[in-house]
Amino acid sequence: MQEFFQQLVTGIATGGIFASLALALVLIYNAMGLVNFAQGEMAMLATFVAYALINRGVSYWIVFPVTLVLAFGGGILIQRIVIRPVERAPILTLVIITLGLAALLNGLAGFVFGYVPRSFPSPFPAQSADLFGVFVSYRDLGVIAVSGLVLLAVYVLLQHTKVGLTMRAAAHHPEASRLLGVHVSWMLALGWGLASAVGAVSGMMVAPILLLEPNMMQSIIIYAFAAAVLGGIESPLGAVVGGFIVGVTVNLAGAYLPFVGGDLQLAVGLAIIVAVLILKPNGLFGRARVRRV
Amino acid sequence: MSALLELENLHAGYGPTAVLHGVSLEVPEGGVVALLGANGAGKTTTLRAITGGVRWSGDIRFDGQSLRRMSTEAIVRRGIAHVPEGRGICTELTVDENLQLGSHLRRDRAEVSRDYDRVFEYFPVLKERRRLSASTLSGGEQQMLALARALLMKPRLMLLDEPSLGLAPIVVRSIFKIIQSINEASRVAVLLVEQNARIALDLSSAAYVLEVGRVAVHGDSAELQGNDSVRRSYLGY
Repeated sequence: MQEFFQQLVTGIATGGIFASLALALVLIYNAMGLVNFAQGEMAMLATFVAYALINRGVSYWIVFPVTLVLAFGGGILIQRIVIRPVERAPILTLVIITLGLAALLNGLAGFVFGYVPRSFPSPFPAQSADLFGVFVSYRDLGVIAVSGLVLLAVYVLLQHTKVGLTMRAAAHHPEASRLLGVHVSWMLALGWGLASAVGAVSGMMVAPILLLEPNMMQSIIIYAFAAAVLGGIESPLGAVVGGFIVGVTVNLAGAYLPFVGGDLQLAVGLAIIVAVLILKPNGLFGRARVRRV
Repeated sequence: MSALLELENLHAGYGPTAVLHGVSLEVPEGGVVALLGANGAGKTTTLRAITGGVRWSGDIRFDGQSLRRMSTEAIVRRGIAHVPEGRGICTELTVDENLQLGSHLRRDRAEVSRDYDRVFEYFPVLKERRRLSASTLSGGEQQMLALARALLMKPRLMLLDEPSLGLAPIVVRSIFKIIQSINEASRVAVLLVEQNARIALDLSSAAYVLEVGRVAVHGDSAELQGNDSVRRSYLGY
């Protein structure tokens, strides 16, 4: 029982990381019907920026918000420079562009920082806390707290602010929004900025666990895809719930299914994607798309 | 007297297909003008040109200023509320959120809250359904929501694209009555596109009839209504 609860908490913590990246994917999917394959690499690059700052002796709790702001700005820049000129291109073109962007950012990080895995500090102590007889690590609790706060902040921004309202309107109803005076193109850029910042959180949370290197996010993005698809790719809430479900499932499968172990966890993530797409293509929170003709 | 909205020799179309071949019309300050014509005559395209939704040449002036090369957002912010074909309701959002989108650019909070009261007086059903998703509204209620939202933009001119479309006659009558009170109470000018010529002529003071992208007839609404040959050849009743 003791071990089960530890695995469960670790699973929830991992789930928070997946949930953040999955939410980033959903934000962009909602804004332009596009799965951003570069989301993981954007998060990785942001984490490298954080690493460079920490290496210069800046305190972690200053680096954290600064990185979020830089990632936000970087996301907006990418939308303005790379995506906006091809906004109206066919979806396949856009997909290829995000794949190219992923390769570009990956290469850029490799060029600047090299491919040697580096240890990235965790702001939380390595000890364990005694929670009613169950020992759980402060790191897991910290990751849960941070990702929980970030997800809550995004929720409040989208649901309870004017900017959030115009962002949602611009994403779902661009033509109608324009007629209401909403600057749709800027709202899309804001969506990219927000997604990039949320993704950066997942990067900074996973780096202490996986070690920081340019390919760090390549497995995480698969789990995030699984989480987003499971939640229904259009639903922010679904992405978050999906993230936690995938995190817990993968962790428990790794711990208790001998044939999965540590090596086949990624396969579990992929299996979730395939299973959802076959059994419930709209995910847990998605709605079937009805087109009236 | 100079008009609030002036269209001068307007040509517009989609890609290589020209739809409007030189339309000129005027909407006076506070007036109601009907734009009539058969399907495909160019009524909707005219409205879309005004808010920058299609490429056009000629000139469109609002309050004496040309709207050439202005973005839709900029045009709308000058005081034109366009209720498009299909009403433009954001069905992913709640009724209340749709209304908030109408007033989101305004800074005059006290007056905004008065306008909300006024809107709920016109359309009590919207107040009851504030928290529901706009997708749950009936066609008539969605049209009411679109009008309410346009009103909350505090426009000087409303462009209404077939507010009667798909609605039961009794609902149409009540909606047109409200359009009339809105126009009388707040002096909002209205350019009304309609297939239902009879009800549009009743409401408007002047009317233009489009035929394949040109103004075929225009004049005083009462006169057009009284002219049998115009009625029979262009208005179909």
